[in-house]
Amino acid sequence: MSKIFKGVLGPFLLIFLLLVARFIFPHKVTFITELSIFTIYVMGNDILYGYLGLVSFGQPFYLSVGAYSAAIYLAYLGHSPLVALVAGIISGFIVGMVLGPFFIRLRGDYFALINAAICAIGLFIVEKLLIGITRGDDGLWYRSRMGVTPILDIRMPNNFFYFALLILLIILLLYKFMDHSVLGVSFRAIRVNERKMRFLGYDTFKIKWIGFSLASILSAISGALYAINFGFVNPSLGEPSRAAEVLVATLIGGAGTVYGPFFGAFGFLGIKDLVSKYIERWELFVGILTILVLFKFSKGIWGGVDFFIIEKLKTKIKSFKQKRYPI
Amino acid sequence: MQIDLWLSAVIFGFSVSGILFLVSLGISIGFGLMRIVNMEQMLYYTFGAYMTYTMLTWTGNYWLGMVAAIVVAAFLGFIVETQLLRRVYGREMMFTMVVTFSVFLIGIGLVQYIWGLDPKPVPSPTQFMVPIFGVKMPIYRLLVISIALFVYILVQIFLNKTIIGKAIRAGIENPQNVQGLGINIYKIFTLTFVVASGLAGLGGALNAPLTMTGPYMGFDMLLFAFITVILGGLGSIKGTLVSALILGQVISIGGTIWSPLSFVAPFVVMFFVILIRPTGLYGVAGKAFGFE
Repeated sequence: MSKIFKGVLGPFLLIFLLLVARFIFPHKVTFITELSIFTIYVMGNDILYGYLGLVSFGQPFYLSVGAYSAAIYLAYLGHSPLVALVAGIISGFIVGMVLGPFFIRLRGDYFALINAAICAIGLFIVEKLLIGITRGDDGLWYRSRMGVTPILDIRMPNNFFYFALLILLIILLLYKFMDHSVLGVSFRAIRVNERKMRFLGYDTFKIKWIGFSLASILSAISGALYAINFGFVNPSLGEPSRAAEVLVATLIGGAGTVYGPFFGAFGFLGIKDLVSKYIERWELFVGILTILVLFKFSKGIWGGVDFFIIEKLKTKIKSFKQKRYPI
Repeated sequence: MQIDLWLSAVIFGFSVSGILFLVSLGISIGFGLMRIVNMEQMLYYTFGAYMTYTMLTWTGNYWLGMVAAIVVAAFLGFIVETQLLRRVYGREMMFTMVVTFSVFLIGIGLVQYIWGLDPKPVPSPTQFMVPIFGVKMPIYRLLVISIALFVYILVQIFLNKTIIGKAIRAGIENPQNVQGLGINIYKIFTLTFVVASGLAGLGGALNAPLTMTGPYMGFDMLLFAFITVILGGLGSIKGTLVSALILGQVISIGGTIWSPLSFVAPFVVMFFVILIRPTGLYGVAGKAFGFE
């Protein structure tokens, strides 16, 4: 029982802190909502970068897949935002399953670039090819078509905040479960030495395929949430040049950890919020920050916190226990 | 009328090929020799284009701007290589990719800081038109083609006839053995990098009158340059030339058929080539390049 409790405590604590933050800073609701959505997006990239050791320059594509499936459902087919979210998840799953086998047999650098290629192709499809459906650069607007959902009317930004937190909580719990499961361990083993994994009899192709699909699903969920939150989508969501954002956020937070994506998203969005007040564009800042993180703090924010505070606390508790009960 | 249109599209395509070749040569050699993914190569291209603009507004002479572009790009390449990339050699590919990409971001930030956000127009140095088979072509495009050809011949002579060039080719095959022969491979790395970034600056200077000079011009070119390198095969200069020729035609003729195709057609070509033949057209499937 205590084991289950231990695994669940962290995500609940994080969500509780976010709730507290919402009441302390009431005018920051939109920021916290965006933070929780972005965290899910970063988690998707973290599975690829932190766990499997694959860099992808095409994550915006998977984001826009989820966003556009939700948007097209809401604009043409139905009214329920919840079904739109499910549509986003299913589209992410299908894209991950279909593209996975072709992409993951490529070597790391080719994987990064073929993702950039599919991102450019996706932007083209959305912007030019399906212009009759997606309305191109004007974007697709459907806020007035969104219907009332049972229990919580998520059309209101205040209510959507709770909805986003709920989704984040569910995903954090599942993510933590994955981190401790055989799957998470095999992901990390593949990053360290894929050949040895194959030698031990694991089908690394399948494991990578699962990881790729999971990453694609998480990005699509995040995209669908963006679409429901804003009430419109436009092609700029899937621009290849925005691929750096999610990568940098993953690095800042600490790759390959459960809470790293949250802190990365927090750090990145917070810096963006602060810096954009003083500097018009923040590429310079993001670049310097990434170089610093890569060379000096390779563990990221959460890695540092984990290393300096939690590990030390644990050893202190251990020594304290040993003092009280000498063996 | 129809024939004229296609003929001018083909010549236009050759000039695009020339610029693609100049810009992606550095990435190709960097991949083959130093085993790093040079994302920031496009920085020198952007700086080259902007230096041309600055010299043009100061002195009114385009050719002076071109020389300044080459010098500044080579100098920037020298600084980046000796100060940062030295620490990256031998690390895993993903790490170098993210490092060079963030150098690229810093460079874009610097460009925005120095020259501002709005695009700068660079006028073409000559407005002469030359009739070829009855089609009037701007002489500037022909000039771009001939400069790219000239650079290709120079690079081939440099690599095949001089001792440093031979050392570079040996380094592409096996860096450890070159070092074992008593050659300082890091000096060769620096030299190659400086030459490659100078060529990227030249590409930027040549492309400045053909496109809009803006802070994000490197981003689009980055994708195209990587497509060129991958299509041709990493580390192969001949492959880079051939794929630049193919892609130039794909961009130009695709754009003539339907203008959005000029952006997306190269990606589609690369997509299928990678899926069918992951080593590229002239790539070598060997342990040195990570393929087994």
